[in-house]
Amino acid sequence: MKPFCKGQVLVIAALLVAVAVITMVSQVASAQSGTVTSGIVVGIDTDGDGRLTRFAVSDSSGTVTTFEVSDTTEYGLENQAGDRWVSTQGEEPVEIVRRLLDHRERFAPITVSSENGVAISVVEREEGKLETSLGYLFAVFAVTWALFFAYVLYMGSKQRVLQHDIARLKGAAGQAK
Amino acid sequence: MTRVLSFLDPLPIFTAALMGVTLWLIFIWVPTEINQGAVQRILYFHVPVAWGSMLGIFIVSGSSIMYLWKKNEKWDRLAVASAEVGVVFGGLMLLSGMIWARPVWAVWWTGEAKLTTALILFFIYVAYLMFRAYFPPGAQRQRLAAVIGLIGAVNTPIIYFAANLWSQAHPPIIIGPATDAESTLGSDLGIVLMASTLAFTFLFIYLVQVRYKIRRAEDDIVELKRASGARTPVTPETPVITETRGAS
Repeated sequence: MKPFCKGQVLVIAALLVAVAVITMVSQVASAQSGTVTSGIVVGIDTDGDGRLTRFAVSDSSGTVTTFEVSDTTEYGLENQAGDRWVSTQGEEPVEIVRRLLDHRERFAPITVSSENGVAISVVEREEGKLETSLGYLFAVFAVTWALFFAYVLYMGSKQRVLQHDIARLKGAAGQAK
Repeated sequence: MTRVLSFLDPLPIFTAALMGVTLWLIFIWVPTEINQGAVQRILYFHVPVAWGSMLGIFIVSGSSIMYLWKKNEKWDRLAVASAEVGVVFGGLMLLSGMIWARPVWAVWWTGEAKLTTALILFFIYVAYLMFRAYFPPGAQRQRLAAVIGLIGAVNTPIIYFAANLWSQAHPPIIIGPATDAESTLGSDLGIVLMASTLAFTFLFIYLVQVRYKIRRAEDDIVELKRASGARTPVTPETPVITETRGAS
C-alpha cells in the first residue's frame, strides 16, 4: 500500500479546511442568530411552589427585558467563590431562584440567549468568549491537520525515493548477473 | 495507475470517511457544552491524540518484548514505526492541551502531574528515536532501544491515573476503567468522543502501516546493497537514499 500522493493530500487538506471554515462560520452564525442579552437581574417571578416562571434583565443601556423559562432552559452560573453550578429549569426550578437572587444581590452580570422571549440558556456574562474560543478551536484544528498532512507528505516522498532506489538496485543486480 | 489503486485501498478510505463523519459530529451535531462553550470541542481532538500516543508506547513496548524474545526484525520495525507515529501524536497531545489550557485555565502550562508525565512520555519517544538514529546499527542498538521502549510503557498508567491520584486543574478521567460516575460525559458528548477516538485510532494504524512499509523498504535496500557487494558501508537509516537519489 502506498500513501497518498502530494496532489491527493492537498485536495483532502483543502476539503478539510473548507469543511472547517464552513462549519465554524455556521457555528458563529447559529450562535448569533438567537437573541443574546447581557445585563443584571432586576426581577424574578415565581409560582406558588417557589419555582421560577420568568425573570427580567437590565442591560447596560437600562433597557429591561423579561424572559420566560421552559423546562429545557439551561443554567451555568457561578457563586461568589467562582464555583460553577450547571442545571436546567426542569431539574431544579427552585434552586435557580436562589441563584438568580444571589446574582441580583451581587449585581453579577449574566448573559441570556433566547428565542421568542423564552430563555434557552442563562450563563455568567460572556465577555467576547465566543470569538476567542473559536480562535483557540481553530488553532487546534489547524495544528492537528497541518502536522498530520505534513507527516503523510513526508512519508509519501520518502517511500517514492526508496522505491526508486530499490528498482535501481534490482536493475543493477540483474545487469551484473 | 498504481497511485489511483493506492487511493482505493480500504484502510485510508475507511479512515477518511470515518474522520469526515467525526468532523460532522464535532462541529455540527454535538451540542455546545455549557461551561466552556465552543472551546470544549478541543476535547474531541485532544483525548483521541492522547490515546494514540499511549497506544503507540504500548505497541513499542509489546513489540520490544517480542523482539527480545523472538529476535525477529519485523517486531523491531513495528516498534520503530509505532514510536515515530507516537511522537507525532504525543506532540499533538501536548500542543492541543496547551492551546486548550490557555482559555480555560488562563495559562499555557502548569507543572501538575498529568501534564508533567505526558511531557515525560513525549521525551521518552524522542529519546527512543534519537537513540536509534545515533547509536551504531546492530543487534545491540535494537536490544537497548527495546529496553527504552519498555521503560516508556511504565509511564503510561501513571499518565492515565495521574489526574485521579493527584487532583489538580486537569479534569479527572472520563473514559476507561478508572472513570468514576460523577466525571462521565453526557451521552451526546460521549458518543462523539468515542467516534473521534475510533477515527484517530484508525488514522494511527494507517500511519503505522505506511511507516512500517517504509522501514521494510529501507531494510530491503540494505540487503540489496550487501548482495551487490557495495563497498560503501550502509546503515538502515539514511545514507542509501542520499547516495542514490541523483544517480539516475
